[in-house]
Amino acid sequence: MASEKTDVVIVGVGAAGGILAAELGKAGMKVVGLERGPRLTTADFTPHDELRYFQRQELRPNVKRQPVTWRPNANARALPLPVLNYGNQAGGGTIHYGAVSWRFHEDDFRARSQTMERYGAAAIPEDSSLADWPLTYADLEPFYDRAEYELGVSGKAGNLQGRKIDGGNPFEAPRRREYPLPPLFVDQAGAIFEAAARKLGHHPFSTPRAIVSQPYRGRLGCTYCGFCQAFGCHIGAKSSILVTKLPEADASGNFKLLTGAMCYRVNSDNSGRATGVSYYGPDGEDNTIEAELVILAPFIYDNVRLLLLSKTARFPDGLANSSGQVGKHLMAHIGPRVFAAFDDRYVNIYMGPSAQRHSLDDFNADNFDHSSLGFIRGAQISVSPADLEAGPIGAAVSMNPPPGIPRWGGAYRDFLAKYFARYAGLTAQTENLPYADQTIDLDPNVRDAWGLPAPRLTYDWRRPNELKRVEFMVRQLEELGRTMGATHVWRSPPGQGAPGAHHEGGTRMGSDPKTSVVNRYGQSWDIPNLFIIGSSTYPSMSGFNPTLTIQALAYMSADAIVNRYKKNPGPLA
Amino acid sequence: MSEHDASRREFLVRAAVGAGAVAGAGLVPETHAQTREQDRKAKSETNAPAGVLNYIDLALAGAYADLQDFYRRGLAQLDAYCRKTYNEPFVRLSATRQDEVITALDEGKAGGFTWPTAQEFFNTIRTHTMEGMFADPIYGGNKDFAGWRLVGFPGAQAIFTPADMQSKQAFTRAPILSLQAQAQGPTRKE
Repeated sequence: MASEKTDVVIVGVGAAGGILAAELGKAGMKVVGLERGPRLTTADFTPHDELRYFQRQELRPNVKRQPVTWRPNANARALPLPVLNYGNQAGGGTIHYGAVSWRFHEDDFRARSQTMERYGAAAIPEDSSLADWPLTYADLEPFYDRAEYELGVSGKAGNLQGRKIDGGNPFEAPRRREYPLPPLFVDQAGAIFEAAARKLGHHPFSTPRAIVSQPYRGRLGCTYCGFCQAFGCHIGAKSSILVTKLPEADASGNFKLLTGAMCYRVNSDNSGRATGVSYYGPDGEDNTIEAELVILAPFIYDNVRLLLLSKTARFPDGLANSSGQVGKHLMAHIGPRVFAAFDDRYVNIYMGPSAQRHSLDDFNADNFDHSSLGFIRGAQISVSPADLEAGPIGAAVSMNPPPGIPRWGGAYRDFLAKYFARYAGLTAQTENLPYADQTIDLDPNVRDAWGLPAPRLTYDWRRPNELKRVEFMVRQLEELGRTMGATHVWRSPPGQGAPGAHHEGGTRMGSDPKTSVVNRYGQSWDIPNLFIIGSSTYPSMSGFNPTLTIQALAYMSADAIVNRYKKNPGPLA
Repeated sequence: MSEHDASRREFLVRAAVGAGAVAGAGLVPETHAQTREQDRKAKSETNAPAGVLNYIDLALAGAYADLQDFYRRGLAQLDAYCRKTYNEPFVRLSATRQDEVITALDEGKAGGFTWPTAQEFFNTIRTHTMEGMFADPIYGGNKDFAGWRLVGFPGAQAIFTPADMQSKQAFTRAPILSLQAQAQGPTRKE
């Protein structure tokens, strides 16, 4: 059993933890980072191997060693999820993600107020716990800017200090300056999508992505190989934490990374102060680290699980849980899809970065009038391959054939042979509302490879508000597909209620310690030397991918810790 | 090879053949496909269509070894269903009846399955068949790039140009590349 002392311990060195490690290390704080998986290098990502990385998910948690269970409601039996979409190594999910990097809209931070002002309180479903964030877009804008420039995001501004720019996203919140890098090349699918969307009166644009379109800060520009989402980038063009912030953390001389380290408890004393963490090392040995400041930055399941596992006499319902809100308000994106297949052209959608390529924002957030629609909030619409990954295994396992063609046999073979290189997928990424009974807790029946109870999700997205939104969006996708000139346009079957990608909630932030777990800096209301950073703090989720906002929040928290907390440890808000 | 190994080997080959017959029937390219009569006679990976059976065989002996029981139970239930419905095991049924059975599996209408369920069994075999068709040939399937040629996928390319990305034609600029070719680097001779 080893024991050591440090200024700061960070659990999880991914999208948020990597930024905090670099920023606190540069400010002279001694930082130890705990990472459950290994630290890989860019050279490790050379094999363009769809079976290994997409299908067998080598860069994601092994579902047998690290199970997460799901049940649609509290009366059903929870079963292990077959796929986990977060990261499992230094750099976390930024190694394998599609790198889609949005700033949230101004009204994403005040979805409750926005809805009440425009449609009245009755428009919000009675059982939804939709809440405003305890900060505004303007508060976060400087940190979005830092994230885009320090990490490297490619895109085109649509709103420069209030001035609308043609070709960018006209619905985006005002930004102080252009993206640091021009947009990535438009592929054939993006070009057809662009033309169709304009014809329909929408406002398409190249999706902003943390993939450098040109050489940037010593890194090579993207070569459009297509092995992107689910893969590590073989030339380091994807702006993962591995190639951006970890080298900065290393160079600070104040950062130590422990790999193969599974944190299982946050330790605290009788006064309710965090004293450090306990973790199992690579060989299973039980170790402790004493720290002045404890920062939790793993995926949201483990934020909740760690707090619940760390209960004490003072916090019998879980550490830092005097509000009773830990584990509640779980959210996840649902991605209803429509496929469009073309007889008059090849699309070759396996080329280029594989996640959402070209997008439109006309039906996201409150960018459109919901008065007569029967639902609130929207979805981000884009063109992409079947499972945001474009190889033939992905197409075969993720794209259902059109009605009338079975999933096997000669007719299916003919379908794949004709259309694998002639299809485009259309997806809507929906902003599902928070509900207090959508939860994460500890599964009493399933344990992981370390003997710890598995996180258990209780969640079913099929609420009236969400079902209506999905149907509305699928109709938009079908209209886009037809306008693109596709010979065949067909729907993917709806999901069975399980959460999709991009989980949020579980340790929500707020302005009131009675109804939230942390303040706007991710600082625990109950334990001021405990910070929780990541999408688990989101009070609402937005239709946009969460990562750039996680990163902006990490920069904001690092700034507050370095410039205020370090001098005068205590509550920041 | 010990008797135990031989029996395990026979099971794996049988599992792979059964899997290929169930999900791969008609899925492989015509040039590499064999008749159902040949399928029935298949006893090793050497005459497996497109290498799918070889892939499943290798996977069940390695990465998917924990699914051996799943396959064993699934195939036993499949034969029990076929014997009950048609008085013959699956591999002896006519093509039309095999299609009826597969449709029943796909739709979860084949009776008598407990674990795995008919749909679980079909979905797994289907997924593994697709992997065998489309994974890199180093895994034992996708023989001579049969799967990639079928659908027009050029494999492990390291770069696509703006012209490639904007083309409305099939991609023909470079040969299909496997992981072995990728490991050897771009200067290798074709």
